[in-house]
Amino acid sequence: MINMNSPAESSTTTGCAIRLDQVCLEIEGKQIINQLSLQTNVRRLGVIGRNGSGKSTLSRLLSGLIDTTSGQLDIAGFDPFKDRRAALREVGLLFQNPEHQIIFPTVLEEVIFGLRQLGQDKTTAKHNALEVLSTFGKEHWQDAHCSALSQGQKHLVCLMSIVAMKPNLIILDEPFAGLDIPTKRQLQRYLDTFSGSLIHISHDPDDLQNYDQLLWLEAGQVEALGQSDEVMPRYLAAMHKLGESDDISDLSN
Amino acid sequence: MEKNIAYIALFAALIAALGLIPKITLGFGVPITAQSLGIMLCGTILGAKRGALAVLLLLLLVAIGLPLLAGGRGGLGLFFGVTGGFLIGWPISAYVTGLIVEKWRSGSITLVSVVASIVGGIFVMYLFGIVGMAIVLEKTFLESAALMTAFIPGDIIKAIIAGLLTAAIAKARPASLLSRQAKATS
Amino acid sequence: MISLTSPIETRAHRWPAGLKLGLLCLVTFGLFFVDSVLFHGVFLVFVVALYALPGMRFFKNGWKHLKILWPFVFIVVAWHLFTDELPLGLTVAFRMISAVGLANLVTMTTRLSDMIDVVHWLTRPLQRLGFNPRVLELAIALVIRMTPVLVSKGQSLTLAWRARSNRRSGWRIILPFTVLALDDADHVAEALKARGGLTNQERK
Repeated sequence: MINMNSPAESSTTTGCAIRLDQVCLEIEGKQIINQLSLQTNVRRLGVIGRNGSGKSTLSRLLSGLIDTTSGQLDIAGFDPFKDRRAALREVGLLFQNPEHQIIFPTVLEEVIFGLRQLGQDKTTAKHNALEVLSTFGKEHWQDAHCSALSQGQKHLVCLMSIVAMKPNLIILDEPFAGLDIPTKRQLQRYLDTFSGSLIHISHDPDDLQNYDQLLWLEAGQVEALGQSDEVMPRYLAAMHKLGESDDISDLSN
Repeated sequence: MEKNIAYIALFAALIAALGLIPKITLGFGVPITAQSLGIMLCGTILGAKRGALAVLLLLLLVAIGLPLLAGGRGGLGLFFGVTGGFLIGWPISAYVTGLIVEKWRSGSITLVSVVASIVGGIFVMYLFGIVGMAIVLEKTFLESAALMTAFIPGDIIKAIIAGLLTAAIAKARPASLLSRQAKATS
Repeated sequence: MISLTSPIETRAHRWPAGLKLGLLCLVTFGLFFVDSVLFHGVFLVFVVALYALPGMRFFKNGWKHLKILWPFVFIVVAWHLFTDELPLGLTVAFRMISAVGLANLVTMTTRLSDMIDVVHWLTRPLQRLGFNPRVLELAIALVIRMTPVLVSKGQSLTLAWRARSNRRSGWRIILPFTVLALDDADHVAEALKARGGLTNQERK
């Protein structure tokens, strides 16, 4: 029903090139990311790992919101922290909690915001925003108040705001947390229509079923990077095993 | 009762948090700290009594040594220096702002809040602040006032922003706009 | 949240908070009755010496708090130089630094819990008017607990802004920030009610 682009691209088309080389990140004395190196350019990358493994932090690093302590990171050839203008054009980040992301009272204003920040003037921005809304079939949302929307609807507003900026890569930080099954499936369909690359972070395997490649992060390091059907069973086995331990008792300091 | 305490405590925390997040811009590149804006919002959203109590609670915590003022400042030193008068004026300015919003029910909430913020957040606050400065600096009231005139345009913009924000809150969370609830409970 | 009490132990840490506060008020009040530049100059040296006694780290830490005064010191001294009243200007400047310095010393040498005890003592007469100290304790605890929570939410909002903009976050951010705080207030009120509420708090 929704056709964002010309004939469906095959899933083997290469996506955004991502390169990390011995990246370390230390926050307040804690080593969050530890000598992380990886290279990939798939269109659909899933990132799994336990809570606290560094997945969210990785999303902030990849979108250039925070700087590495050491090591090199580039997205499509540029450093997203140093080159914010390129980062804004190329990379979009969807946060976990839409309450922490939606800034404006109405849907249209929220979508327009990113476009204005990209330098578009008021008329162009409004036109493009309305275009995005209609691509998603949501023109009737333009004057809706964000606080009156349901959780899933808020997630969709966040997604539309990012898609409107036409990035080549969207990073999703646990976008389905707390949503019910129908909402998740509906949002996933909208995500599937995105022609650029997606990096989807989740601790829940069900969210990542159709992803080409999986990155398994453990304590800030790469535990595995490979095909889904290779990495996922290992991940599941490890998680179940950990479930039999009692590391919930350990205090971090 | 629980709602009152929770709102008062959380607004005090909000004002503190507004001083600790990175500075925000006023539109044409002028950075400000949002804290004094928070004092105006205390009045316009919580009303006179609760707004003043929220500010008093914050000041109490600052006095006993918590770094809750803009930039992580705190302690008794702030009350004994040049800014002492302003700090004393804060709860009173929140009270006056809140009183105006509570009593003046006609007209748009934006207009009422802007006027309330100017009267309470600027007139009253500067009154106390300038008196305090005059005492510490041993200058006359007028001379001390002259020192502060540079800040007034920025504060007027803050008052306008306070009005816009209050109107937006009135739409987003009408039940939380305690200053406009019909005959509030204790 | 870390209070501003200095971790470097001094003898003053052990003096009763009420005594320190009382002395502070008396001394500061007294300072305003003396007009001699010489006196204030010497007194300031005395205050600086108090900061230096516990060691270099304490001194540096204390200095950080006094630094914010310098624009006013500059204005006062420059103004009085201009009006040819330098001694008066220096008096004002010295006195200002001494007063703030002493007050800050009290903050640095008094533990949070001792301060709260003083607050309790000061509010005791209000209890006859219906004031419930438990409620104040709760309010204080709530602010201490919730400020870092709100700060982190504020930081998330600022990050979300920066993910879509190169400019510093505008005032717009205060809207969702306030809404979050109000929602938290509702949740806290609910949680308080669920745990017995405040209206039947026993008073000691």
